[in-house]
Amino acid sequence: MNTPPCKPFIEVANIYKSYGSIAVLKGISMTIQAGDVACIIGPSGSGKSTLLRCLNGLVSVDRGTIRVDDFSVELLQSEKELVPLRHKVSMVFQQYNLFPHKTVLQNIMMAPIQVLGHNKQDVHERAVKLLAKVQLSGKENAYPGELSGGQQQRVAIARALAMQPEIILFDEVTAALDPEMVQEVLNVIRDLASEGMTCVLVTHEMRFAQQVADQVFFTDGGVMVEHGAPDRFFNNPSDPRLKSFLAKVL
Amino acid sequence: MLFSLDFEWLADPLYQDWLLEGLGTTLAITGVGTILMLIIGVVGAAIIHFNIPVAKPLTIIMIDLFRNTPPLVQLLFLYFMLSDLGMSYTDATTGERIPLLSGFACVVISLALYNGSIAIEVIRSGINSVPRQTVEGGISLGYSRAQIFRWIELPIALRLTIPNMTSNVVSLIKTSAQAALVAVTDVMFYATQITLETFLNLEVMIVLWLIYLVITTLVVLLAKQLAKALTIPGFGAGAMK
Repeated sequence: MNTPPCKPFIEVANIYKSYGSIAVLKGISMTIQAGDVACIIGPSGSGKSTLLRCLNGLVSVDRGTIRVDDFSVELLQSEKELVPLRHKVSMVFQQYNLFPHKTVLQNIMMAPIQVLGHNKQDVHERAVKLLAKVQLSGKENAYPGELSGGQQQRVAIARALAMQPEIILFDEVTAALDPEMVQEVLNVIRDLASEGMTCVLVTHEMRFAQQVADQVFFTDGGVMVEHGAPDRFFNNPSDPRLKSFLAKVL
Repeated sequence: MLFSLDFEWLADPLYQDWLLEGLGTTLAITGVGTILMLIIGVVGAAIIHFNIPVAKPLTIIMIDLFRNTPPLVQLLFLYFMLSDLGMSYTDATTGERIPLLSGFACVVISLALYNGSIAIEVIRSGINSVPRQTVEGGISLGYSRAQIFRWIELPIALRLTIPNMTSNVVSLIKTSAQAALVAVTDVMFYATQITLETFLNLEVMIVLWLIYLVITTLVVLLAKQLAKALTIPGFGAGAMK
């Protein structure tokens, strides 16, 4: 963590995105270093989730450039071109987005086998280890509908990790969970961060952001209002909008 | 009247043979028809889902054409149209003109098209009820649209629509009785033959009625077992009570 400034791992420059007449992103730029944990905070509708989805090409931008390692994301068009990017950048969602008709183990193993063409035996080994890592050993043959929200979200994290990504995007992954389940999910993310995984989180967990993040970004109204290291960001915010937002949520 | 019903004809080996042979034909028609119907349903739903140019409007026209007209009219149209179009060949040895498509084939095709059109809409409704988030999960893992259809949307849709699809299969079985009208020797055909010989209209129709009831009941029971085996735990209403 806190690597010396070198070529950033993720570089977003001046991106614009509109849905019809509604402008969601209005010239957002940000850079994230490899191994960093970056948290994006901001009020609802400020474009946080859209920004996150731009990073793995789930949402295409109207204008601007997005570079993730060697990929120029805004130039990738076809499904085939996007596969290597999806390999590098995994995503975990607010609603878990697991496959309801597949068991926990199948959920984790499907994409590495079917998309990446990895050997089934290797993937199985990897999946069992990942389940142990998210403390769900023994749930291999359960279906997502039989698990609690916190357990489903940990399966979703294991599924994302099975792709052996270099970056994981977390989109409000604790927003749909009971308070006591929030902690079990945050602990898993904390472990990942300490292992040096590059994590980008959209979150409302301010305390978590303060503890774990290397950089915090605050978006409002589709623009990047302020960003910085968590200490200065939370204790000494300069922008009045950030001040009033923090006063409300802290 | 009710107590003077005469079922002695059932003991006649000839009539037993007729009914069994007819039953075999009915089961063959419905078996092949059901398989073709499912294929049409999946392919048609895929064509509409993927918005394939030219094929999509044609599929929609086909659905409207076959779903909204009487299946008997379709069968007779198909039967007479094909022979009118000269789709027949001359047997080299006997010099006899033989239709290229038999009555059996016409019945199977017409059932496959009629119930297949309904199947397309049934499967489409299932695909539309797959949560958007589930699909997004697939996209984020690098799945192509085709892979998502094959591995995620279709398996969930088929499970969710087992009750509707069962009604469609039962409808196909019932509609197959019209095969007798194009001289296909199904169970309906032979039952009519028996009434012509015995004049026991009511008795024969009671037996025929029960035969269809047994077939459809078995199909429904089978479908329930299938639904039970394929239930997605904690998800939607795939299972039939």
